[in-house]
Amino acid sequence: MLCSTIRDILTGTEAKYGAEDAVRYKVKKNEIASKTYSELKRDSESFSAALKELGEQGNHIAVIGRTSYEWLVSYFGIVDGGSVAVPLDASLPAADLCELLDRADVTVLVFDEVRSDAAEMAESRCPKLKYRISMQAEEDAGTILSFRRLLEKYKGEFNYTPKPDQLCTIMFTSGTTGKSKGVMLTQRNLAENATCLDMKIPERTVILSVLPIHHAYCLSMDILKGISLGSVICINDSLMRVVKNIKLFKPEMILMVPLMIETIAKKLQESALIPAAIVKSQVFGKQFHTICSGGAYLDPSYIDLFRKYGITILQGYGMTECSPVISTTVSWNIRKDSVGQLIPNCEAKTVDGELWVRGSSVMQGYYKMPEETAETLEDGWLKTGDLGYADEEGFVYLTGRKKNLIITKNGENVSPEELENQLSLNRLVGEVLVREAEGVIEAEIYPDQDYIKKKHVKDVEAALQKVIDDYNQGAPLYKRIYRLKIRDTEFEKTTSRKIKRF
Amino acid sequence: MFEKLVEIICNYVEVEPENIHPESRFVEDLGFTSFDFMSMLGEIEDEWDIEVDQEKVVNIRTVQEAVDYLQTLAD
Repeated sequence: MLCSTIRDILTGTEAKYGAEDAVRYKVKKNEIASKTYSELKRDSESFSAALKELGEQGNHIAVIGRTSYEWLVSYFGIVDGGSVAVPLDASLPAADLCELLDRADVTVLVFDEVRSDAAEMAESRCPKLKYRISMQAEEDAGTILSFRRLLEKYKGEFNYTPKPDQLCTIMFTSGTTGKSKGVMLTQRNLAENATCLDMKIPERTVILSVLPIHHAYCLSMDILKGISLGSVICINDSLMRVVKNIKLFKPEMILMVPLMIETIAKKLQESALIPAAIVKSQVFGKQFHTICSGGAYLDPSYIDLFRKYGITILQGYGMTECSPVISTTVSWNIRKDSVGQLIPNCEAKTVDGELWVRGSSVMQGYYKMPEETAETLEDGWLKTGDLGYADEEGFVYLTGRKKNLIITKNGENVSPEELENQLSLNRLVGEVLVREAEGVIEAEIYPDQDYIKKKHVKDVEAALQKVIDDYNQGAPLYKRIYRLKIRDTEFEKTTSRKIKRF
Repeated sequence: MFEKLVEIICNYVEVEPENIHPESRFVEDLGFTSFDFMSMLGEIEDEWDIEVDQEKVVNIRTVQEAVDYLQTLAD
């Protein structure tokens, strides 16, 4: 059923499945706890009430943390109560998080204790921040409020009806200029993206959520679509334990990025001599049937491989700027070389080889970045940056990328310019180009010859490797550089003196 | 410990055991993806009955660093 607000999704399902499990999560090694749809609705309404009492309703509220029941309560409490959620990447360095908090005009920060360092730094670096709320603290401590205490204090119903075109979420995505951009999404953008297509996924399907929750793909497909179907959303506590958690939670469906599918494929192929049905039942369990793949390109051969084990892979395509799904494959109409059919609220055209899309899930723009917004949106059309087209039946085919963005196999977008700018700060680096090579990020560097002479650098390779190692130390895993190439000549330049990328 | 780890590494990447050295780097030299690495740690947790701290393992680069960290858990 099409819903135009996120609140409608949760209240609709709660009315139908209130007493049933909405979320399951591990509390100890092999012990599972759960929360019902009624509890999720009640707790999130209590959080909406708390934000109102603090005088923060309608403001920008950031959430930093791994997927957890508290994260979900915060998110629904924020958006259903008329505020704007700013989900941030929990793996970013504290200084980067503070920069984003400040740039997104955040006034309240809800944080998981694993990132108490960022919350601490934010106190001095983010002057607009008024409240910091700890997801785990039992009691208020100094200026840090306890999430649990707030829910108890403001327990009760909270009646507020968000408008479909109200801004509800700002999600950060890699920018090509090196500065990440805040994608502004409304209630309608996200709610219609999750509910406009009936994928014939049975209600109450058990889903294991393994992707980072600050990503639009996870938020839209695991959480919003999952809730719209009354699913049981099981929370994977660590990427180390996906296989173990599959055995524990017994999911029927998992949303993955190609990197995960490739690792699991290797494991399946190792057992090639054992009958497929036995391997499938040992690794995934008899009940498992579907993997949704998104975030990056998946080699179609994996679709055939998994089919041998009775598992359907549904490939999708999208970007945060489109809330995020643009097209998806449905189980009854699979075309291996296509990234699926346009979803019903999305139309497409090709302009100079680039795919443009339009519809109710296209973002409102980038937060406080009018120039970047004007470059990306034109008369309601979103320029995807991908080269490709949609055929007359709406099947989308992609052929390459127009922008420089590196899309890693785990679906993370990395701006080469951002990494180049950081490396260039070191005097030893004369010119640098960052690109993807054989699945990892590579930096090609032309060292500064004058500096080498002046400082009598003998082992240039070791010195440059140290520059890379130092950079990697502070970078999240997906932004790390795993290959160094050293040039002995300058890069070829364009007439405007920019390094030629291709 | 090193030999046990080499055995498990060979289940994830196509490298001959004799080509795995203490100084080999997981991603650069052995061809691990970040998810291969995490999955391997999950398998080690099960087989050795230990609990790995996700925040601590992100900075492990070489086989020796992994051995050193796992040794602290086994002790």
